[in-house]
Amino acid sequence: MFSAQAAEREQPKLGYQLTALPEPLSAPDFTLEVMDAKKISLKDYRGKVIMLNFWATWCPPCRREMPSMERLHQKFKGKEFLVLAVNQMEDGDQIFAFSGDLGIDLTFPILFDKDSSVSRTYEVQGLPTTYIIDKKGIVRFRAIGGREFDHPEVEKQILQLMQE
Amino acid sequence: MPTKINSLLLKIICLSLLNTPVQAAEVTIHKNDASGLLTWTSKDNGFSIELIQLNPDFIRAVYGKRDFSVDEVERIAGYCVFGSIIQNTSQQQLSYRVADWRFVDKNRKAYPVKTKAQWLAEWRKAGITFAWTLLPESGNFGIGDWQQGFTTIQINRNEIFDFIYTWTLDGEKNQGTIENMSCAPAAL
Repeated sequence: MFSAQAAEREQPKLGYQLTALPEPLSAPDFTLEVMDAKKISLKDYRGKVIMLNFWATWCPPCRREMPSMERLHQKFKGKEFLVLAVNQMEDGDQIFAFSGDLGIDLTFPILFDKDSSVSRTYEVQGLPTTYIIDKKGIVRFRAIGGREFDHPEVEKQILQLMQE
Repeated sequence: MPTKINSLLLKIICLSLLNTPVQAAEVTIHKNDASGLLTWTSKDNGFSIELIQLNPDFIRAVYGKRDFSVDEVERIAGYCVFGSIIQNTSQQQLSYRVADWRFVDKNRKAYPVKTKAQWLAEWRKAGITFAWTLLPESGNFGIGDWQQGFTTIQINRNEIFDFIYTWTLDGEKNQGTIENMSCAPAAL
């Protein structure tokens, strides 16, 4: 967002800590369009651990954490884990250009929250914000700001949730 | 070149203003060699805040490509806008409320910082749906949480001011001050 004007300044180092919600909440269901114009619902993935990430292409920390989300997605491919990246108020062309700039293929579903209604339901204040939802559909962890999601500590927490 | 700022006078003003313990924060100032724009960074007691000058043309570019009218873009660009990065550097829970933050003008008069909620209320009336880019008006940060967004101050562009911010760490309210701040110039 303002990275161009602060190009010389370092952004905060991406950490790995996730905050356990003191009172776990049931994850509100939603249905959104994905890149190929199909629609998917959160409830379709009940039984998997979900990393629900709210992001936008213009958001510098979102860009920085995206490669670690893809690595995590690849590492747990075929297991009871899925990344869902919920884009805010952008379209397929913007995502396509973003993926090209990033230099990696994003293989997890990217969903379009075109009016930010899903982010409001999840009380997202700023981007990026990420929730980890367990196999029963309960929000267990939250991260505000960018993270290195393929850090061993995050992997360990997700593995624990997959084993529950 | 890093500069350390610590003024007893302003601390007294801060105390009377918010009745909150004042922290002796270390403030560093960085000048971007290419643009000349300044960044102030203050780190103290579990909280880090960085305020980056943003010039009006940059703000026009950010909002001009969204569903904002030309008049609305100009209105935002008329504010003194900073890119802000705030961070919980502690191992405890931390919270902040922009509504508690103030800027103090040359006449030592304190004014509230305009919040995201106030901006969004105005934008909604103008039919604008975009709701991002501004620093959230409040936050509850766990370990490692951080956030960034624009902070807007309504002051004459050439006027020097002090910026007073607060945060709550493990239930205790803290306050810090960055002195002698300035807006980005109208043109680079």
